[in-house]
Amino acid sequence: MSYKIPMGPFHPALEEPYKLDLICEGETVSDAKLHIGFNFRGIEHLAETRNYIQVIALMERVCGICSNIHTLTLCQAMEGLTNLTPPPRARYIRVVVAELERLHSHVLWAGIAAKLMGFKTMFMTCFELREKVMDVLQAISGNRVNYSMNRIGGVNRDIEDPLAVLRMVEALEAEMARTVIPIFTTSTTARSRCASIGVLTHEKAISCGVVGPVARASGVPQDLRHDAPYAAYDEMEFNSPVEPDGDVRARLMVRALEIMESCRILRQALTKMPPGELHTGDAKFNFVTGTATSRVEAPRGEVMYSVSWREGSRNPARVHVRTPTFVNMPAIRWMVLGARLADTPLIQASIDPCYSCTDR
Amino acid sequence: MTTLESISEGLGSNQSWVEKGGVHWLEPGAMTVRELAQTMNALKARFITITAYQLPKQEGFRLEYHWDLDGQLLGFPFQLAGNSIDSIYDLCEAVDWIEREIHEGFAIDFLGRDYEPLLLRQGDQLGVNLREEVKK
Repeated sequence: MSYKIPMGPFHPALEEPYKLDLICEGETVSDAKLHIGFNFRGIEHLAETRNYIQVIALMERVCGICSNIHTLTLCQAMEGLTNLTPPPRARYIRVVVAELERLHSHVLWAGIAAKLMGFKTMFMTCFELREKVMDVLQAISGNRVNYSMNRIGGVNRDIEDPLAVLRMVEALEAEMARTVIPIFTTSTTARSRCASIGVLTHEKAISCGVVGPVARASGVPQDLRHDAPYAAYDEMEFNSPVEPDGDVRARLMVRALEIMESCRILRQALTKMPPGELHTGDAKFNFVTGTATSRVEAPRGEVMYSVSWREGSRNPARVHVRTPTFVNMPAIRWMVLGARLADTPLIQASIDPCYSCTDR
Repeated sequence: MTTLESISEGLGSNQSWVEKGGVHWLEPGAMTVRELAQTMNALKARFITITAYQLPKQEGFRLEYHWDLDGQLLGFPFQLAGNSIDSIYDLCEAVDWIEREIHEGFAIDFLGRDYEPLLLRQGDQLGVNLREEVKK
């Protein structure tokens, strides 16, 4: 007998409001439908009513976790419309903040995944680490969530003592290497709870166009930091971990390995940070009429902004945001097919969904 | 011949690629959006998104289709005089949600596909979010 189990829009297994309608045969999921839009905010429309300074603050609110990535992508697109190139030091600072944000996002996700695995001690460990990552971000920007680091043509704040930040990052790295990484990569609990469930095949990953760690965990070697470098990523040496299995464990492994790669990038960026200006100056911007596009590798995958400007306007004519969860989420339907009902919360969490971004 | 030149030749386009604003643009000319999708599939390009713009003075809409080919961002702008264009959902699964979102945000019909219930829960009216005549 087939029956439908609604999960959400408000449910203990979901961190944010969305809905999964699961069609089950006994305990096995035979189909699923996903519904979003419960908290749609109309930010793209709002952006058309904000000037070029205000729109940066607005887009920082698209996401509460990767807020910096949104302003970075927007500013890069607007730099395309103003023909500005940020100074080298600003490009390095952008890398540092982006990688700290990746650490923050991955550790937060690891905590939530641990909670859904029934691994509460790990949840507490991850959230303790997350606090420490936020301490580093606060030391740099003064803020713990919306860092206000990016501006058109550079950054707002300097990292005055990169070596002090480096010491904080090294302490974090040592703690992660001692706790989170071995547990997620070798623990029997994590393996038995995550292996061979929620499989997204390589072919389906390509067909759905998934991005970021979800794509890399299905054997798709895609990372904009390598493929289309921005900021100072072309001067960094790092690997983009790829796993072939496409299951929840592969997504766990990719993120665990990415945490260590982020620390590696941070070490390089903080050690090699060149001296110089933080931005191109305070002169008025001359926007070129037309459209510019920018892409960035956010913690969850590719973010793309298209910004359009009309002659003489202080406001953008259009700001279009393509967020990673918007493309990763439809793939959940294929991940839960044939899964046990009890595994579905962990499977949907394994894409690290952000409904704040999706309902932008 | 570069990869981009071979794409424009494969599409039967006599237009040149223009690099602007971080995108390699090709005017589609007589090419349809479905022909474009088939060509991109054959090249194993990755679909990224469609960006919709409402043009001033009731000139219709512009839909910009974006694909990634080995890290290069490709853009193909299609002008719509009316309110509809062929869907490519049957050729490219990844367009599903963005076609639905544009359908709801701008009241543009993507022909040849069915729509599931609204992605945007509030408003209950097509175009309520981004179409000029409706959002005012």
